[in-house]
Amino acid sequence: MNRRLTFLILFITSCSISFAQHFRTYDWTETPALHELSKAEMKESSIGILKKHIVEYAPNILSPEPKRYETEHTIVRVNDDKGIAQHNTVYIPMYDVRKVVSIKARTINPKGKVTLLNQENIKEVKNVDEYGDFKIFAIEGVEKNSEIEVLYTVEKEFDIYGTETLQRDYKIKEAQFLFITGQFESNIKAYRTNAEFESVNIDGDTADLLIIKDMPAMVEEEYSTPKANNVSVVYQCFPKGQSITQSMFWTNVSNNVGQQFFPEEIAIKAKEDANKILNGKSNLSGFEKASMIENYIKTNFTIVKNNNNELSDLNYILTNRSASDYGILKVYAQYLTALDMEFEIVITANRFLKKFDPDFFVPNMLQDFLIYLPTEKKYIAPDRIESRVGEAPFNILGNYGLYITSTFDHYFSKIVQEDPDFSRIRRDMDISFGEDFENVSISQDQDYFGHWAQTSRAVINFSTEQGINDYKDYLTGSGIEDKEIINYQTKNEEINQTAYNVPFKVNTTITSESLLEDAGDSYIFQVGLVIGTQSELYQETERINPIEMLYPNRYNYEIIVNIPEGYGVEGLSSLNIDKSYKGTTGEKLAKFESSYKLEDDKIIITIEEFYKTNEFDLNRYEEFREVINAASDFNKAAILFKTTE
Amino acid sequence: MNKYFFLFLLVSFFSWSQDFSDEDYIYLKRHEHIKIKLENDQFDIAKNVSEQAKYITSKKLYFANEAMHFDSFTSIEDIDAYTLIPETNKKIKVDYIETKREFDNGVFYSDQESKTFTFPAVTKGAVTHLNYKEIIKDPHFLGMFRFGTYVPTKSAQLSIEFPSNVTIGYIDFNTSGIDIDFKKDTEGNTNTYTWTVSNIDSFQGEDDSESIIYYLPHIIVYIKSYVKDGKTINVLNDVSDLYKWYTSLVEQIDNSALKKVYGIANDIVKTLNSDREKAEAIFNWVQDNITYVAFEDGLGGFVPRGAASVCDKRYGDCKDMANLLYEMLNHVGIDAYRTWIGTRDRNYSYFDVPTPMVDNHMITTAVVENDTIFLDATDSYVPFGMPSGFTQTKEALLGIDKDNFKIIKVPAQDASKNVTTVNTLMELNKGSVKVSEKRALKGYEKVDFITDYTYKKDTKTEEEYLNTTLALGNNKTKYTNITKSNFNNKSVPLILDYNLDIASYTKTIGEKIFINLNIDKSLSNSNIDVKDRKYSKKIDHKFQKNFTTKFKIPEGYKASYIPEERSFEDSNYGYRITYNVKDNIITQNKSIYVNTLSIQKEDFDHWNGFIKSLIKAYKKSIILERQ
Repeated sequence: MNRRLTFLILFITSCSISFAQHFRTYDWTETPALHELSKAEMKESSIGILKKHIVEYAPNILSPEPKRYETEHTIVRVNDDKGIAQHNTVYIPMYDVRKVVSIKARTINPKGKVTLLNQENIKEVKNVDEYGDFKIFAIEGVEKNSEIEVLYTVEKEFDIYGTETLQRDYKIKEAQFLFITGQFESNIKAYRTNAEFESVNIDGDTADLLIIKDMPAMVEEEYSTPKANNVSVVYQCFPKGQSITQSMFWTNVSNNVGQQFFPEEIAIKAKEDANKILNGKSNLSGFEKASMIENYIKTNFTIVKNNNNELSDLNYILTNRSASDYGILKVYAQYLTALDMEFEIVITANRFLKKFDPDFFVPNMLQDFLIYLPTEKKYIAPDRIESRVGEAPFNILGNYGLYITSTFDHYFSKIVQEDPDFSRIRRDMDISFGEDFENVSISQDQDYFGHWAQTSRAVINFSTEQGINDYKDYLTGSGIEDKEIINYQTKNEEINQTAYNVPFKVNTTITSESLLEDAGDSYIFQVGLVIGTQSELYQETERINPIEMLYPNRYNYEIIVNIPEGYGVEGLSSLNIDKSYKGTTGEKLAKFESSYKLEDDKIIITIEEFYKTNEFDLNRYEEFREVINAASDFNKAAILFKTTE
Repeated sequence: MNKYFFLFLLVSFFSWSQDFSDEDYIYLKRHEHIKIKLENDQFDIAKNVSEQAKYITSKKLYFANEAMHFDSFTSIEDIDAYTLIPETNKKIKVDYIETKREFDNGVFYSDQESKTFTFPAVTKGAVTHLNYKEIIKDPHFLGMFRFGTYVPTKSAQLSIEFPSNVTIGYIDFNTSGIDIDFKKDTEGNTNTYTWTVSNIDSFQGEDDSESIIYYLPHIIVYIKSYVKDGKTINVLNDVSDLYKWYTSLVEQIDNSALKKVYGIANDIVKTLNSDREKAEAIFNWVQDNITYVAFEDGLGGFVPRGAASVCDKRYGDCKDMANLLYEMLNHVGIDAYRTWIGTRDRNYSYFDVPTPMVDNHMITTAVVENDTIFLDATDSYVPFGMPSGFTQTKEALLGIDKDNFKIIKVPAQDASKNVTTVNTLMELNKGSVKVSEKRALKGYEKVDFITDYTYKKDTKTEEEYLNTTLALGNNKTKYTNITKSNFNNKSVPLILDYNLDIASYTKTIGEKIFINLNIDKSLSNSNIDVKDRKYSKKIDHKFQKNFTTKFKIPEGYKASYIPEERSFEDSNYGYRITYNVKDNIITQNKSIYVNTLSIQKEDFDHWNGFIKSLIKAYKKSIILERQ
C-alpha cells in the first residue's frame, strides 16, 4: 500500500471540453463463446485468455484535479480443481476508491451456458489488516473447463502515479495495458518486456497501448525474487503544460522527508532518553553509540501497524513508546542527533517484492526505510526487531535506495554490503566411533556471524517452542535420522549487542548409528551427511529469474575423523571436490572446495564454500548450479573402514 | 536423612520455579466472569474479562498487540486498557482501538471481526491491564475457558453468576495435572460457580500432533435449563436439546426450486439400477461439480443454503454440500440423513458436551443396502464408501426426523483400505542405477497424493515435485517417462509409473559393489525426539506399504552378501523385509504397516524402537563381487 508520504505538487488544470470516457462504452462481448486453446494449454490448471487494464485520466469540471478511472477486464479458462480454486473467488481492493462504477462477472461453462454474477452476492469487507476495504464475491456456475470473465471499473482518488502488475503465475495469452490521458502530460514505462507502447486514439483522446501476447507464467525458482520480476507498468499523469521531471519528484520527496526527520531541535524527553542511553559513559565510538540507541529503541518502543495518525507524531511517540514504521525514524533522528551522530535516511523497497527504479518515480516503490551511518558505513533497520547496526537487511541488499542527507539533498545508490566477510559460519567437528563401530559420535563447535547470527538470535528469542526445537535440529545436523543429542549449548544468544559482529556460538555432541553401515568385515561411514542435508538445485526447464542469493556468505568447516585402532581407510577420493564460478577477472566469486589429508590416525577434511556476491549472471546459471550442487555431492561422500589385522 | 533433605530441596525448587522468573512474558491474571440474567424467557448474558500481563524482559514486546474477536453472536463493549510502569507508577492509557477484519485461507467470507490495539510503553517490568465486556447474544454460545494459554498464567479464573432458577452444566478437560479450586456460592437468588487455578504453565502446539485442546486444561460451561412457573424449560440439557436447536435451524433452509435439483438427480441416476450405484454417482457428481467455498455469516453459518441455489452457483461449504446430497439421495429413494460432526481436532463427545462447541462440520449419512456410508463431498478425492480422513473415529449426529436422531461413530478405516503397492525393477548400467517403478495407491494414500499434487506442486515440474516428495534414491535421482493413470477415477487405485536414473548411488570398493535396494525409505525420519516432545504423535490414517523390488545381478558378478530377514512386529506398527535369490534376480519383499491413529507419549520409546530397527534394516546393502 501507499506510504503515508504527502507530496505537495500544485498545478492548474486547463478547462476541457472533451467528456468522452472510454470506460462508459467499453464492454464485454454480448454473447460470449469459449476460446480455442492448444492441447498444452488445456493441460494447465488455468490459462489467462485476456487481462486488460485501463487507466483513464479524465477532465473534471468541478475541480482542477482530473478524475481517475481504472477498469480491469479478465477472462480465464479453468481446467481443473486447482484452477477453479485459484479463480473462483475475486477480491477487489477498495483502497483509494472513490466510487465503484460497475462490477460484473460471468461464467461460460463447457456447454456454453452463461451464468451471470448475482450482484446481491457481492460482499463488502472493511479494514482488512493493512490493506483497507474490499469487495469480494465468489464466481457462480464454475465447472472444469469453464471460462470466468470479470469486468469492473472504479473511480479512484486522484493520484499522479500508479503501477500495475501484468504477469501472473499462469500463462496469459493476451495482456493489455491501456493508458488514456487525453490532453494531460504523461509518462509511462514497462518493465521486463520487449513489447513497446504504441500511440492510439481512443474516442478522440490520445492513449498508449501495450499489448503482450503469450506472456509466460511467472515461476517460483530458488535464489530468485519472482514477485519482483513480474512484467509491470508504472505511469504518471499531470496537466498539460507542466513539465515535471523525475528529478523534481525526487527532490520533492527528499525535501519533504528531510524536513520531517532531521530535527531542528531535540525534544526534552528525547534528551532525557539520550542521557539514559549514555548512562554516564563517554568516549564511546560511533558504532557503540548507534548500537546503544538501537538497543534502547528496540527494547522500549513498539512499531504499530494501524491507521492511528498520531503514531508519526514525535511527542505522542515519545510518551506512548509506540510508533508507525515511519514515525520511529523520528525517534532515531532525535537520539542520533542528540548523541552527535551523522546519519542519512534511506528510502527503498524489499527486493523480493519491488525493484527500486531511480529513473522513474512512483511512491509505491518507497516501502522500506533504513538509517545509514556514513561514518560507520553501516545501516540500522528500524522496523526489524532482530537486526542490529551492521549491513543492510538481506531483503533490501542489492536494491537501489534514495539517500537523503541532513541538508535534504539526495543521491541514489545501490545498497551493497560493505564488509565482505559479514556473514559466515565456522564449524569444527571431531568425529569418533563407538566400540565395534556401534555408533558415531560427533562433537561440533560452531560460530555464526552476520546475518546467520541475527537469524539464529531471532529464532532463539522470538520463535515458538516448535520453532526453537526445529532450529536445534538444524544446528545439530539436519537429516541424521536417528540422531541423539547428547549435548547442546548456545552462547551469545542475546540480541542486544554493542560490539560489532559478535558470533552466535553453538557447542553440540550427537551420536548416530544410521551414519554407519556394516559391510562384512568392513564399515561404511557416510561422512558426507554430517554437514546436514544439502538440497540439490533442480532445473528441468529454462531458468527465468536472475540469480539472487539471500546474502554473500562463507562457510569454513574442519572435520576431523579419528580412525579407530586396527583399521585402515579407503574411498577418500570422494572427499575431493572443487567447483567454482569465476568473475570476468578470473577471481573466484563462488566456490565449493573440499579436500582431505591423512595425519597419523586422523583424516582431516577441510571445506570452504563461499559466495562473494549475492547476484550472479543468469547466463552462467549452470556454473552457479554446479557450485551449489557440489555441497549435495559432498553429502554422498563415504569412507570405508577396513580392519588392518 | 539425606534422602529427605534431597526431597526437601526438590520441593523448594519446584515452588521457586513457579514464579516464572525465567520467562519473558506471563499473565499475572486472566479472569472471566459470566453474568447471566433471565427475564421473560430472554437471557441477558455478559462476560467480563479482566487480564493483567507482565513483561519480565523486554524481548517479546510484540505481545503488546492485542485483538478481541467478535462476530454477529457477540459484541465487545467497555474496553479499558492501559499500561502500568511500576518503576514510576505511571499509567498510560490505550487511546486508539481499531475494528479490523482478516482474510482467512480456509473461509472465504466470515463475519468475524476484531477490536485491535497495541499497549503503549511496554518494556521490561511493564504490566498491562485489559478489562472489557463481551455481550453474548445467543444462550447456546457460552464458549470455553482456557486455564492455560501460550504463556504461563499466575491466576486463571472463570466464574459464572446465574439466577437460582437456571441450571448450569460444566465439564473440564485435561485438568488431572493441575489443582482447580472450585467454589459454589449462593447469595439470595443468585448462584455463583468459581474455578480458580494458580501458576499454570504455558501450552504451545506441536507439529504432527493432535490439536492443542487434547492437552490444554480448559472448561466448557453451558446453560442446561431454567424453571419457569414450576416448569423446566431446557436449553442445552443434553444432546436432544442440541438436536432440537439444530432442527429449528434446518427448518429455515430455502427449499424453493427443488424440482431443478431433482431433475439433476434423476439425470445422474437414469441409467443406473442399484441403490449403491446411484448413491455413488450422486456423491461423485457433488464432489466433482460443487467447489468448496466457505461462508461464516451469523446463523447463515449454521443454516445450509438451499440445494437449488447451490446447484446454480456450483459452490458451497460443508453444510451446503451435505444438504444437497441429502435432497438428491432421498429423491432417488436412498435413505440419507443430514449429519453433524466434529473433525478430529475437536475431541468432544455429544454425550459430554451438548453444545455447538462439539462439532464444526456437516456431512451426509446414507444407508445403502444396510451399509451406513458417510459422505463428505468437501473432500474432492475421497472414494465413495470411505468417510473423509479427518472425520474418522468421530461421533456423527444423524438427523432422522424432526424429533429423532442417532449418534454413531465413524469407524477408523482399516490399513488394508489405504495401501501403497510398489513394484520396482533395478539394474546397474555404467555405474548408475536404472530403475523402472510402478506405484499403485489406494484409499487415503491416493487421496493424500492427489490433494498434495493438486494444491502443493505450485510451479514445480512433475520431475522436481516427485523428487522432493517421494525422495527416492539420493538427491541426484532423475525421473523420466512419468505417467499417471486413474487420477480422476476414484474407485480404482492411482497408478504412477516412471523410470529413475540414480547416479553415484552404488559404492564400489576394491572388487566389491555395494548396492542398497531401499531406494524408498518411508518413515525413516519419523523418530520422535523423546526429550523435547510433549504431546502424542498424530497419524492421519492407518496404512500399509508393500514393496517388491527385483534387482538384476549384472553379468560376470555374483551376490556375495545378501542381508538377512529383518522385522519388527507389533499390533500397532511394524515391518518385514526379506530377500531371496533366484537365478540372477534378487527379490526384496518389504512391507510396512501402521494400524493406529496416534502414538501416545508413553509409547514413544517403543515407536522409536520400531523406527530404529527399520532404519537399521534400510542400511543393509547387497554386496556384489566379480565371479
